[in-house]
Amino acid sequence: MTKVKICGLQEAEHAKAASAADAAGFVFAPSRRRVTVEQAARLAAELPESVVKIGVFVNAELDEVLEAVRKVPLTMVQLHGDETDEFIRSIPVEVIQAFSVRDIEDVKKLEQSIADYVLVDAPGIDFRGGSGRIFDWGLLKGASIDPERLIVAGGLDAVNVGQAIGSLAPYMVDVSSGVETEGKKDADKIKSFIKTVKGDSMQQATGTENVTGFFGRFGGQFVPETLMKAVKELEAAYAEAKDDADFQADYHKYLKEYVGREQPLTYAARLTEAWGGPKVYLKREDLNHTGAHKINNAIGQALLAIRMGKRKIVAETGAGQHGVATATICALLDLECVIFMGEEDIRRQQLNVFRMKLLGAKVESVTKGSATLKDAVNEALRYWVTNVEDTHYLIGSALGPHPFPTMVRDFQSVIGRETRGQILGKEGRLPDVILACVGGGSNAIGMFHPFVGDESVRLIGVEAAGEGVDTARHAATLTKGTEGVLHGAYMKLLQDENGQVQEAHSISAGLDYPGVGPEHVHLEDIGRVEYKAVTDEEALASVITLSRLEGIIPALESAHAVAEAEKTAAAMGSDEILIICVSGRGDKDMATYAEKLEGLA
Amino acid sequence: MKRLKDLKDNGDKAFVAYIMAGDGGLDKLRGQVEYLQKTGVTAIEIGIPFSDPVADGPVIEEAGNRALAEGVTLDKVLLEMKSWDFKIKIPLIVMTYLNPVISYGAERFAESCREAGVSAVIIPDLPFEHQQLVGPYLKKTGVTLIQLVTLTTTENRLEDILDAAEGFVYAVTVTGITGVRDEMTQEVQEFMKTVRSKSPVPVYAGFGISKTEHIEMLRDDVDGFIVGSAIVKAFHDNKIEDIDPLIHAVTQRNPV
Repeated sequence: MTKVKICGLQEAEHAKAASAADAAGFVFAPSRRRVTVEQAARLAAELPESVVKIGVFVNAELDEVLEAVRKVPLTMVQLHGDETDEFIRSIPVEVIQAFSVRDIEDVKKLEQSIADYVLVDAPGIDFRGGSGRIFDWGLLKGASIDPERLIVAGGLDAVNVGQAIGSLAPYMVDVSSGVETEGKKDADKIKSFIKTVKGDSMQQATGTENVTGFFGRFGGQFVPETLMKAVKELEAAYAEAKDDADFQADYHKYLKEYVGREQPLTYAARLTEAWGGPKVYLKREDLNHTGAHKINNAIGQALLAIRMGKRKIVAETGAGQHGVATATICALLDLECVIFMGEEDIRRQQLNVFRMKLLGAKVESVTKGSATLKDAVNEALRYWVTNVEDTHYLIGSALGPHPFPTMVRDFQSVIGRETRGQILGKEGRLPDVILACVGGGSNAIGMFHPFVGDESVRLIGVEAAGEGVDTARHAATLTKGTEGVLHGAYMKLLQDENGQVQEAHSISAGLDYPGVGPEHVHLEDIGRVEYKAVTDEEALASVITLSRLEGIIPALESAHAVAEAEKTAAAMGSDEILIICVSGRGDKDMATYAEKLEGLA
Repeated sequence: MKRLKDLKDNGDKAFVAYIMAGDGGLDKLRGQVEYLQKTGVTAIEIGIPFSDPVADGPVIEEAGNRALAEGVTLDKVLLEMKSWDFKIKIPLIVMTYLNPVISYGAERFAESCREAGVSAVIIPDLPFEHQQLVGPYLKKTGVTLIQLVTLTTTENRLEDILDAAEGFVYAVTVTGITGVRDEMTQEVQEFMKTVRSKSPVPVYAGFGISKTEHIEMLRDDVDGFIVGSAIVKAFHDNKIEDIDPLIHAVTQRNPV
C-alpha cells in the first residue's frame, strides 16, 4: 500500500495529527516551514517510533546534515539541491533525492540517481523544494524508474491524491501545502489526507494502537478505582511536562551535571578480538552516578512529582539499583522516600540496602509471596493506594498502568539517542545488532526505542532463563509467558492455567520479575524485536569474560546481554557492528560473585 | 438483584457479607453461605483468591493465600456453587481480580457465572474505561457488573460510572485497601451523600467497615454496608457468631 509522508511540520499539534502517517518531514532549508534541529527533535519525540523522520536539505554542508541525523534523530534524509553522488554516499541513513520535473530531460536525470528513493515534484518558485504545484504526471510514464523507489509530491491533496496513486502506483506520496489552511498546517486536513490514502485498512491495522496508553493490544490502566484519579493526573501532568522546554532543560541539566552524561560508547577491542566476529561496542550505563541506568528515570519522575506538588515518593526495588537511584534523587531534591524491597532481595543485595538507608530512605522489607520484585511492587501499589493524595509512585521499569511504560521509556531513551549519535560519529553508519537485558525492560526499551524505525538494525532483548527455560525456575516471560494483567497493564506473565501469577527465578534480582513491559510484548508481537533467554550459569560466565577482557565488572543483569551477544557474534562477520547495553556495574553483586565464582576465578 | 431496590424503597438497609472462597478448604464454603443466609444478610460476596491482590489488606490477602494453598481456583469455586442444592434466597456476588477471568476466558466466565447462580460480579482492577473486556459478555448472560466509586473518583467520572451502574454501587469509604479500621471521617459522610444523590441504584459502603459505630455514623447516608475483613477474620478464628451484632445493627430497622 502507498505510504504517506506529511512534510514541513512545525507544531506539536500537527506532529500528533501526523502520527498515523508513515513518514514526517522537517525542513532545514530556507523556507517558511523551516525548523531548527532542536525544534525537529521535539517534534520527532511526538511521533511514534514507526514513523520515518525525514530531514529536508538544499545544498547543506555535510556536517550540518550529519548533525541533524544524530540529534533529531533522522531516519532518512531528503536532498533538493545539487548534491553529488559522493555526498549521498556519505550519509549514513537512507537518502531521498528530489527532482523538479519540467520536461523529459529532468526525467533522465532522475533515472540516473543513486539515492535509495527519488522524489518528483513540480518546479519551485521562490525557494528550491516543494512548490505545491502539480507537475505533469504524464512525463513519468515510460520512465525507467522502479515504482518502489518513487515518491510523488507537488500539489497533492485529499482530492487529487487518489489519481496520483492510480496513475503512478508510487512507494510514497508526499504532501505539504495540500494539508494547510492559510499557510499553516491543519490537523484535520492531515488526518483526512492520511485516511484518504490508507482507507479503512488503516483503522483495522491500528486497532487499539491509537488508543491512549496501549501498544498494540498491550498496556492500559488496570488499576483499582482509587488510583484512577492519580493515574489520570499523572497522564495529564506528563503530557504537559513532556512539551515544556523548561522541564526538559531541567531534566537534561541533571543528567549532565549530576549523573555525568553523556556516557561513552566504548569500543571493546579485546572482546572483538576474542569473539572473532563483529566490532563490539559497549554503551556504558555502568558509569552513571549510582551505578546503573535507573537514575535516568528516577530524575525525570522526581522532577515531575515536584511539578505536581507531591513531595513524598514511594518506590519498589529488585536489585536495589532503582531503590538507590530513587533514594539518591530524593536526598538531592529533599523528598520523603519509602522503598519496598523483598526480603529475599534484601538478603542478596545488602550493600544497596545500606546505601538507601545512608541516603535517608526508609526501606520496608516485604516478606510476602516470593519476597522479590513482584511482591515489592504489590506493596508499593498498596502504599500508593493509601497515600495517593500526596505521594508519587516512582516506578522503576517500563511497567505499570499508562502513562508509566511510556514515561519510563521516554526518560530512558537518552540511552538509545546517545548511542545512535555516537555510532554514527564513530562508524558513519548504524549498527547491525543491539542487545540489552530485559526484566521489566527499561534499559532495553530506552536503548531500542530510537532504533525501532531502522529496519536494518536487529534488536535483541535478553531475558533471564534462570536454571533453564524448561525448568520451573526462570524469569523468561516473553519466551514462556502468556497474556494477562498484572500491576496495571495487559502484558505477558508467568502464570499457571488458573491465572495465578507464578514466582520468577533469576540469580539476578533485577530480572527476577514474572511480567514484562507492555511495549516489549508489542514489539515481540509485531516481530520487531527478538527475545532470547540466558541462564544464570551463562550470565556468570560472561561476568568473568567482560571483567577479564575489558576491565569492566558488569551487573548480573547486564551480563545476560553480554552472554547472548557472544552467541550472536558467532554468526556475524568482521564488517558488522554489535552494541551491548551495559546497564549497570557489578559492585552490588560482589557478594554473589564471591560466592559463585570463587572456584571459577 | 431487584430485591436490593425493594429493600431501599422500604427504607431498609442492606448488609453484604464478604467471604474468601476456600479459606479453610472449599468444602467450608457451602456451610458459610448457609450460615450467613440464615443470619439474615442481604447478599454474599464470594471472593476468589488471587496471587497479587493489590486492592486488599493483610486479612483478606492472608485468607487468599490460605485458599490458594488449598488449591482453590475460579473454576473450582464456580463448579462448587453450581452443585449447590440448598435454597438460595439472596444474591450471590463473585469478587475476583481480572487476571483469573482473562485466563478463564471472559465469555466462558460469564456463562459459568450464570450456571452457578451468580447474580453479580465485582472486579476491582477493571476500571470503568476497560469494562468492554468483560462487560458485554456478562450483559449477555444477565449477570450484573458492579461499579465501584471512591473518594478519589473525579466528578466527571462519577457521573459516567453512576450512569452505567446496575444492581448497587460499591462506594469505597477509604482511600486505601480493604481492612479493619478505627475511624470514619466527615469526608466519607459527605462523599456518601453525593454518591447517593446521583445514583440510580442503591449505594453500599465498603472497605474498612468493622464496627457498629461505623454503621451508626453512615447509616443515614447509605443504603447498605459491605463487610469483608471482619467476617473473614471471624470465620478464620471460628468466632463468626461475634459478627451477629454487626449484621443486626444494619438489618434491624430500629437498632437497640
